[in-house]
Amino acid sequence: MFGFLKGMGITIRQLPTKKVTLMYPNERPQWPERFRGVHEYIPELCIVCYQCARICPTSCISLSGARDDNKKMRIETYDINFEICILCNLCTEVCPTNSIRMTSQFELAEYTRDGLYKNMDWLYHNHVEHGSFRAMQAEKERAAREELEMPVQQKSDDRGGDK
Amino acid sequence: MEVNPIHLPSIEYEGFTSEESAALRKAGIVVHSLEQIKAWARSNSLWPLTFGLACCAIEMMGTGASHFDLDRFGIIFRASPRQSDVMIVAGTVTKKMAPLLRRLYDQMAEPKWVIAMGSCATAGGPYVRSYSVVKGVDQIVPVDVYIPGCPPSPPALIYGLNKLQHKIRMDAAGKRVAR
Repeated sequence: MFGFLKGMGITIRQLPTKKVTLMYPNERPQWPERFRGVHEYIPELCIVCYQCARICPTSCISLSGARDDNKKMRIETYDINFEICILCNLCTEVCPTNSIRMTSQFELAEYTRDGLYKNMDWLYHNHVEHGSFRAMQAEKERAAREELEMPVQQKSDDRGGDK
Repeated sequence: MEVNPIHLPSIEYEGFTSEESAALRKAGIVVHSLEQIKAWARSNSLWPLTFGLACCAIEMMGTGASHFDLDRFGIIFRASPRQSDVMIVAGTVTKKMAPLLRRLYDQMAEPKWVIAMGSCATAGGPYVRSYSVVKGVDQIVPVDVYIPGCPPSPPALIYGLNKLQHKIRMDAAGKRVAR
């Protein structure tokens, strides 16, 4: 009898506490900063060094590229096979230009196995939709604004030097 | 005193105009085929078989616990294949485990669905070059939804389960979801 009352006491004490359930489809989860979700890919930054494909423990990345008119390497195809990708973050760690990154996107369930084979367009779309696209645009705008302000300061410095 | 109109979910029935649908809603009549009503009931009471084989099982248990709470969707874990509708294959399926998985699938009552949770169940994952691991559970049982990740986070599993519910309803309505 005492054990029963003890158990009910714990139950009743829990009743007024705050609910912990995350109502997921209506509420988005707050991921930590370094959460490893689905990749994003920025083709302009890639230099086709094959380091991501070499380090991948399951060899799920396949890519190809060629030299363009300016003798610079340009990416042509970039595919990630999410059937076997284990989201281990090694490809993003070795990337010298940060062209492949992790996002916090996790909604990738599919009805077929073929649907999990993602190409460059899908990964770039992920970059725009869920990745760092907005942060990068803001950074570019900030840099452009600073460049506009810079010449004015330099002119005033030159005048000071003449005197 | 003005009474607020009752906001009913706006269901548009097939083969009816929007005015007719509105009149049916007002009268409180549901026009669906029996299959669709059955699918609605089935998709909202999915009872999964606890099939934890590896680390994905920890995430599956976490999804069932209070932080993510699968009971919200009517998903209640059962310990017997005779009582379950859906098998969440969570983890690495070895070749030794494969016949047992097939037997448990055969023991489940119709209708039944299978979810391949994680890279291992989908295609072998990190053990894709191993000698003892089945390269994808779809070689043994028909799979409805594949969830990638190693392991998938609890919201990713809930997303996959919601996709399965969508598939059950679409199948009953005679629409194909799989490409």
